[in-house]
Amino acid sequence: MTEPISVASTASAPGLSAAPSNPTAASGFRGLWASWTHRVFTMREDQFFLFLAVLIGILSGLAVVCFRIAIEWTQIELLGSSLAPSTLRVVLAPTLGGLVVAFLVIYAFPRARGSGVNQTKSAVYVSNGYIPFNTVIGKFVTCALAIGSGQSLGPEDPSLQMGAGIASLIGRRLRLSQEKVRLIAPVGAAAGLAAAFNAPISAVLFVLEEVIGTWSAGVLGAIVLAAISSVMTMRAFLGPESLFRVPPFRVAKPVDLLAYIVLGIVGGVASLIFLKWLAYARPRMQSLPRWTQHFQPAVAGLLIGIIGIKLPQVMGAGYPIIDQAMHGQFAWKLLLVLAALKILATGFSFLSGTPGGMFAPSLFIGAMLGAAVGAIEQHFFTGLPGTVGTFALVGMGTFFAGFLRVPITSVFMVIELSGNYTAILPVMISSLIAYGISRSYVKVPLFDMLARQDGLVLPSVEERREQLVLTVEDAMRLDAAMVLEPGDKVSEALKRVEAKKGNLCFVRARPGEWHHVEPAELQRLATDASEPFTVAQASSTGPLPFVFRDMSLEEALHWAGDWPALPVLSRADLSKLEGVITLDDILKAFRKVPVE
Amino acid sequence: MSSATITGAPGKKTLRLYSREAVLFGCIVLLVLFVLITAAISRMYHKKIHGLADDWFSEGETSFQAGDVQSALIDYRNALVYSPGNAKFQFHLAQALAAVGRGDEGRSYLLNLLSESPGSGEVNLALARIAARKGMTSEAIRYYHAAIYGEWENGPIAMRWQVRRELSEYLLDRGEARQAVPEIIALADNTPADDPERRKIVGNLLLRAKLWPRALDGFRSLVSANNQDHDALLGAAISAFELGQYDLALDYFDRLPQPEREAPDVVGMYRTAQQINAMNPFVAGLSRGDKARKAADALSLAGKRLQECAGREDQSLLVTPPQTPLQKAFADSKEVEARGSLQYIEKHPETIEDVMAHVFEMENATADACGKPQDADGALWLLGRSRGVPVQ
Repeated sequence: MTEPISVASTASAPGLSAAPSNPTAASGFRGLWASWTHRVFTMREDQFFLFLAVLIGILSGLAVVCFRIAIEWTQIELLGSSLAPSTLRVVLAPTLGGLVVAFLVIYAFPRARGSGVNQTKSAVYVSNGYIPFNTVIGKFVTCALAIGSGQSLGPEDPSLQMGAGIASLIGRRLRLSQEKVRLIAPVGAAAGLAAAFNAPISAVLFVLEEVIGTWSAGVLGAIVLAAISSVMTMRAFLGPESLFRVPPFRVAKPVDLLAYIVLGIVGGVASLIFLKWLAYARPRMQSLPRWTQHFQPAVAGLLIGIIGIKLPQVMGAGYPIIDQAMHGQFAWKLLLVLAALKILATGFSFLSGTPGGMFAPSLFIGAMLGAAVGAIEQHFFTGLPGTVGTFALVGMGTFFAGFLRVPITSVFMVIELSGNYTAILPVMISSLIAYGISRSYVKVPLFDMLARQDGLVLPSVEERREQLVLTVEDAMRLDAAMVLEPGDKVSEALKRVEAKKGNLCFVRARPGEWHHVEPAELQRLATDASEPFTVAQASSTGPLPFVFRDMSLEEALHWAGDWPALPVLSRADLSKLEGVITLDDILKAFRKVPVE
Repeated sequence: MSSATITGAPGKKTLRLYSREAVLFGCIVLLVLFVLITAAISRMYHKKIHGLADDWFSEGETSFQAGDVQSALIDYRNALVYSPGNAKFQFHLAQALAAVGRGDEGRSYLLNLLSESPGSGEVNLALARIAARKGMTSEAIRYYHAAIYGEWENGPIAMRWQVRRELSEYLLDRGEARQAVPEIIALADNTPADDPERRKIVGNLLLRAKLWPRALDGFRSLVSANNQDHDALLGAAISAFELGQYDLALDYFDRLPQPEREAPDVVGMYRTAQQINAMNPFVAGLSRGDKARKAADALSLAGKRLQECAGREDQSLLVTPPQTPLQKAFADSKEVEARGSLQYIEKHPETIEDVMAHVFEMENATADACGKPQDADGALWLLGRSRGVPVQ
């Protein structure tokens, strides 16, 4: 995509005006503006896309700042400023808030319902990058009200979708190419998520891992730029502090890592339980009569309020509570209870269709489980070096990996949040265990499951990641071709060919230049007694394109149909034939792979 | 910046298309407006949040001062919700947690603060106190030292002095006198000469560390500056007593008001000093007769205790050659018996030293065999120690 977006090429479209042909001719602001826009619009589209990424990043960052403020303000007004609000507020705020949210979602912002990740994915894969701006407003209003009133949901997923929505609007208004409009939504998504998390690397990785599903170089730069600019914007207004402070820690000996294996198992089992429950209950909730949707969020709010009378910690996103758990403020029994009740409360909110994200609750659950495991292990094995905060931190990554099935994001998120590379080994171990457990018992990841329940078949990133990639090595035949030198006498070459009973003959003209010669041609020359022919004199096809054994079969397929066979050469020596591959071989190899 | 409309299918909404320049211009205007609006909102928000944080913190302080630490904890936590990075709030929360015995929880916040400002005297001191409460002596000492050499915003010299005093007291409380000694000496060296209150504190620490000569010097100079300073007089009396300078001790005791010298923890020393003084034949200014009488009385008293002790221990004192220290002391006493009469001593005052040496030998022997003597025997025994008779 290196074609410039020239003004001339776009000016022919209806309603478009060209910049002045000589922008410097105009004077004052108009002249400067014309000159600048001329420069901007004559950029290569890639460069223009990067410029837009920064713009999108800043706008998304601003939107997230307002969103976070709106949530906090709503929370203060509805639940009060104390961590332990009065019983009346605890019960009434989420119930009435749920009622209002339900009516807003049904009558004003129907697309605010559902997962922001999936809506962004469907924008990429289904609707050519289109996300109605109404969704952005809807997410902002309904999520601020829901989370602020105490529903157990987080602001990250809505932030992601708001960023994607802003990006989509800008892309459409600027009439970018179809491909760029499709790719611009993930750019905004990364910006929104980065600002919400205050963690640009994790946001970039999540979008690549979960939304796009590939490490596309074409969009990576834009995503990174958008994430950085949104985080910078957010920090300019809300400060650089992380969502919670991680106490200093260290892992002293490799044997200490054993403690995190237990955490991985616990996190994996907990994420499994949560996933199974959501998978079971969501279709049943959706099958309830439509009128019940008016009251489902209110009922969820009431149930959360009832839990909140005793344990208000489970209400809202819960970042201050994560902070307290990090600092060892709760006994292990309370930590376990908080984790269990948060699963319950988040399930209620999510299943009721209340808009909001699952990121913050999953971090909360992970932190409580981690801290509980840490506290229990330290109770029985006093020599363990890690603090409860370490376990809480690693627990967050563990549950995140098991529940959302984004192991790479989980690892980097923990590093980014803690600012400490010491955590990398513990979090890798426990995250992989949790991911493995979750993957073994729930085949479809959460976001794909939700999409399928909503009737969408979006490409599963996890399936794509684990798809078997066939290589030339899987299809090539060894020792199936005869290698002839140009100087070989035809009669001798023919004898060798007949002795081998093969019908594939390659002529090695020079390293990297191979030709194919038919045995019949050799036969023809051999029977011609006029002169002793050499192989070089035989008519051949070539030079043949060659492949290497590690190349994918898809790549080999590009050429295989046009040539009788392709030589498989050694990367170290282009005069060495390692095998041969034909179109038939490739098709046979594809047919052997079972289709799920 | 022109615009046009595309008319779609009949009955469908028309889509207004603006030029790309117009859209870009709109985006930039929107961006500027959005920045301004966000700045205004965020300003209002921060004002509100900081107000809430300060209010909760003030409530926490009030509760803490009133002794309601549980309420203070909740208030401090509420304050931290609105100002999570606030070091002061974290510090006060940690202190409140430590105050209710939840040192581990407080420690976590303090370590957080320490990672941000490793040289903070306040944080190190709070960590030292938590470690001290948990009995983690080496960690406590490490943090106390870090606090002593750390940074203090207000009155660093006074704070360092206080921390060293606290460390010294902590070590003495734990019976780690050897480790306490260098700290107390450093404390004494860093105590201003014109601050009698702090010098008295140091003097008392010197007493607790059994650094008697230094203590006596300190209290003496305090007394010479103010001879009505009862604390200094008491300190001087005790250190003089412990140094065996009983006449000096008695002098200081006598200068104290009666209720103070007869306080339960002092009266024993005072009475002993009086008794020693009464029995001491070496007191300057005594007449020859008084000296002789005191020496003869001491010999008789020590002899009686020796015999009582031997009876209690079921030992015969007449065994020859003597085997036990009691028997040896008795045999020696027989040798000086002739020179131990009042008349003889009065006539030969040079024998007092010899007689008293036997007295001290007998008291030492009985102390070893039958335990530390009391009353008059105790006084003689202490007198012997003060005169350099080795304790066996």
